[in-house]
Amino acid sequence: MNLIRVWAVTYKEWREILRDRLFFAMAFVLPLVIFLVLGWGISFDVENIPFAVLDQDKTAMSRDFLHRFIDSRYFDYKGDVRSEREFDALLAHSDIRFAIIIPPRFQEHLLAGQSTSVQSLIDGVFPYRAQVAKGYVSAIIANFNSYSLADYLAGTRGISREQALAQVAPVLIDPRYLYNQALRSQWSMASGLLMLVLMVTPPFLTALGVVREKENGSIYNIYASTISRSEFILGKFLPYLLISCLNILILWWVVMNVFGTPFKGDPLFYYAASVIYVICTAGAGLLISLLVQTQVAAIMLTMVISFVPAMLYSGLLVPIESMEAGTQFEAHLFPTLYYLRISWGSFLKGLGWAELWFDVVALMLYAIILWVVGYLNFHKRPKQ
Amino acid sequence: MGETPLVNENPVIKIQGFCKSYKKQAAVKGVDLSVERGEIYGLIGPDGSGKSSLMKAIAGVLSFEQGELEVFGIKVDSESSAERIKGRLGFMPQGLGLNLYGDLSVEENIDFFAQLRQVTPAQLAERKQKLLKITRLDKFRDRPMKNLSGGMKQKLGLVCTLIHGPELVVLDEPTTGVDPVSRGDFWAILAELLREQGVTALVSTAYMDEAARFHRLSLMYDGRILAAGEPEFICRQAQGSLVELSAEPQIQALDQLKNHYAQVEAIGSRLRVFVDDKSPNEASKAVSDLLVGVEVKAIRASEAELEDAFIALLRRRRLADQKTNNHAVPRLDPPLPEGQGIAIEARQLTRDFGQFRAVDRIDFTVRQGEIFGLLGANGAGKTTAIKMLTGIVPPTAGEGQVAGADMRYAGQTIKERIGYMSQAFSLYLDLTVLENIHLYARIYGVSRSIIKQRIAWVIDIAGLADVTGQLTGSLPMGIRQRLALGCALAHQPGVLFLDEPTSGVDPVGRRRFWDILVRLARVEQVAILVTTHYMSEAEHCDHLALMYAGRIIADDSPTNMIRALQQEAGQLLKIATDRPLEALALLKQADFKGAALFGKHIHLLALDIETVKKQIDALLDKQAIRLIDLTVHAPTLEDVFVYRVLALENQELS
Repeated sequence: MNLIRVWAVTYKEWREILRDRLFFAMAFVLPLVIFLVLGWGISFDVENIPFAVLDQDKTAMSRDFLHRFIDSRYFDYKGDVRSEREFDALLAHSDIRFAIIIPPRFQEHLLAGQSTSVQSLIDGVFPYRAQVAKGYVSAIIANFNSYSLADYLAGTRGISREQALAQVAPVLIDPRYLYNQALRSQWSMASGLLMLVLMVTPPFLTALGVVREKENGSIYNIYASTISRSEFILGKFLPYLLISCLNILILWWVVMNVFGTPFKGDPLFYYAASVIYVICTAGAGLLISLLVQTQVAAIMLTMVISFVPAMLYSGLLVPIESMEAGTQFEAHLFPTLYYLRISWGSFLKGLGWAELWFDVVALMLYAIILWVVGYLNFHKRPKQ
Repeated sequence: MGETPLVNENPVIKIQGFCKSYKKQAAVKGVDLSVERGEIYGLIGPDGSGKSSLMKAIAGVLSFEQGELEVFGIKVDSESSAERIKGRLGFMPQGLGLNLYGDLSVEENIDFFAQLRQVTPAQLAERKQKLLKITRLDKFRDRPMKNLSGGMKQKLGLVCTLIHGPELVVLDEPTTGVDPVSRGDFWAILAELLREQGVTALVSTAYMDEAARFHRLSLMYDGRILAAGEPEFICRQAQGSLVELSAEPQIQALDQLKNHYAQVEAIGSRLRVFVDDKSPNEASKAVSDLLVGVEVKAIRASEAELEDAFIALLRRRRLADQKTNNHAVPRLDPPLPEGQGIAIEARQLTRDFGQFRAVDRIDFTVRQGEIFGLLGANGAGKTTAIKMLTGIVPPTAGEGQVAGADMRYAGQTIKERIGYMSQAFSLYLDLTVLENIHLYARIYGVSRSIIKQRIAWVIDIAGLADVTGQLTGSLPMGIRQRLALGCALAHQPGVLFLDEPTSGVDPVGRRRFWDILVRLARVEQVAILVTTHYMSEAEHCDHLALMYAGRIIADDSPTNMIRALQQEAGQLLKIATDRPLEALALLKQADFKGAALFGKHIHLLALDIETVKKQIDALLDKQAIRLIDLTVHAPTLEDVFVYRVLALENQELS
């Protein structure tokens, strides 16, 4: 390894990046844009479900019942309708996603101790949201039922409402959410997206850096000179490593300050693990650059190779545990899963080396394999 | 480095039975080659003849399947053995400045190559100083590479290739697309550097007329070497003579000659015939005896030139036949009116791109039935001029008439009346030849009732009858260009614009293409405006305009241009001596500024030949340099271009 030659390549590359304004902007702006678009764009919080009401009873009790929905932060009251037929148009145009119909003589039935049914219509196009909405509706109705029962007991037995409530529902569920107390999906999403962006941009830059020389023909300067393969690869990679290391810091700052996610772990550990991850993903970029001849092809292939595992196999959108056995196995073949664990562990759970060492080692192995394969397949005397 | 020391007689490059394929496509099919120490060896051939593959393999940057390759006596057969030659070798790949880094300055580019090659700072400083001075790039040290002209980029490429003091340089088409002045400059610098440092060079080119620059050369075609040796030796191998004549009516004479000889072409008002196996005198007689009913004006016979020899050799080996069309399909519409109608007129046409003036107040006219050539290097403004006249780019100032319409207001009308074949390839490669023609005919609005007849006419005039069903992508370059021409003719335009239609096409394909153009102009009375950077092609045109830096610096017929140069600067002397490099230095000292080295010969323009001869004799005698031969020739168009541009530059300097 001759450091002068490594430095020659690094210095030249760095000069080119600095002077090519477009490339320079892309190196820093692109990761930020992907991050912000997805960070703000993907949210799993189901809140403010727009809904409308058909109250055919119009009594104190029906109004009380409806207010449990209207006052909830999960629902967004859009108004009353006069007939059931009006719902069709509203639901069809997505003006509302949920409708509730109170039957006539709602109060009369309840006071008479009879059961009554309330009809709810839920837009089922997006099943996940429909499920969550149904959960909210069930919870509100169950709550209403316990209160009515408690009121009845309190009235007949002459006990206080609190005592009656305790008898109606002797076991109460009192969940406390750990790590993300408010269950803000943005916290998880922002800290998870670091995994995605750092999977996409380092290979993108590395692949373009090498393929650009292939496309121009300037790679022949390298082929025809005495520089060794490892010296070239290292020299070429160093500027992009530097850019990616800066990007880690920039995105980290955005996660904490723009998305308000707390960082509970060990910053040094997390930074070191992130650098290993970046080395690993940039290795994928090296492999891509060996496969393609043009910059356009490099961009396409990088996008496919990096987005798919980051989106589908990392556990960001679908938990690994809920995947089928085969898919779970596949998910473990990609580095994204391990880094996502490190990222969530560090940001939300406050974990460090002791708990996450396995994932770091997996990334290291991954990086070594990618770079060794890349090195072995980079030839200064190719067939084409 | 541990290699065994070389005996001087050993060739620097030795190749036997070299084969290289890409997937199933064979690129080089069994080549033998040997390059001696200290010589400039040329590889000449069209695109796709296998030059680049061969050169890359020699430079150790491409693997190959078969054959033996030795460089500096080291057998190159693996990646690790290839590494052993790279320290002593410099390689410059194809493409104008493409192997350099556009955003880096001249000096930074050189420094990068030096660091890569581990040149010590002291050596670097010394070599950089010297190389920059010779190439006259020292004034541009801080200029980013991308802002250099084509010629300067190639000179910088040469500096970068030589910075580590290699023993052998492999240069792949260093002069393609570079203007003749810079080309001459490049060769002079190369010769000087090689002489000073005793470097061996293997250089490829697509220009046949650069053959004289080499000590020895190989003619390549379709992955094989057709002939190898000194340029004169190759010309002699063709065994035949070249007869040039003028005759009226030209097209009739052309047809008669074509019936008898396989290698006939019309160049402007002249006809060139290659006569096999005959001495010049016999050939001249045979040709004039053959022609009946036409008036032969001037007839002259000489030894074959390299391009003729190349075609003759191909023909002998039946690798290519110069098939001629019989043109059986008549044009349906009445032919365009013969006569002096003006087809294209440009007046003070100007185009700026920001601060940069691409075209600077150009004036010219093209008549109906005339072939007009716009000549110049890459970046001289040819393409921009064409784009303005065809209504694709609006002019900054000036005006023009095309096919009777004002180009500023009647863009659409013009587009309907002209045919345009662009530099970029505009055919659909996944369609067959017939489908492409049909598509273009429909695009140009040829009505259904005559489309069949029209397509038949296009196929006939472009000589595509044998390939109508083939996929365009599978055709060789020469046929594709004919197809592109045919497509541009689908609506039978009266004016045809061709932007570098023949670059990269082999000489046989180029001649066939020009054949069609001549017929279109002479028989169909189409006005043709064509751009090219092949100076040898320019002679085909009736009228020429030389463009340089956006301006037209000369505008006349080729014959008149050469005549004017003869009157101003005289005839071309070719001087052969036993020590050409020393002789050149001597002549330059003695104020023969225009002296330039072509291989082993020195070229020089001289008015008073007898006096100059005596001067040269005396000069050489003093240094005991032996004068082997001194011959007088008519200058070529390339000489015209170089002379005019240099005169302009001198004028600007003073």
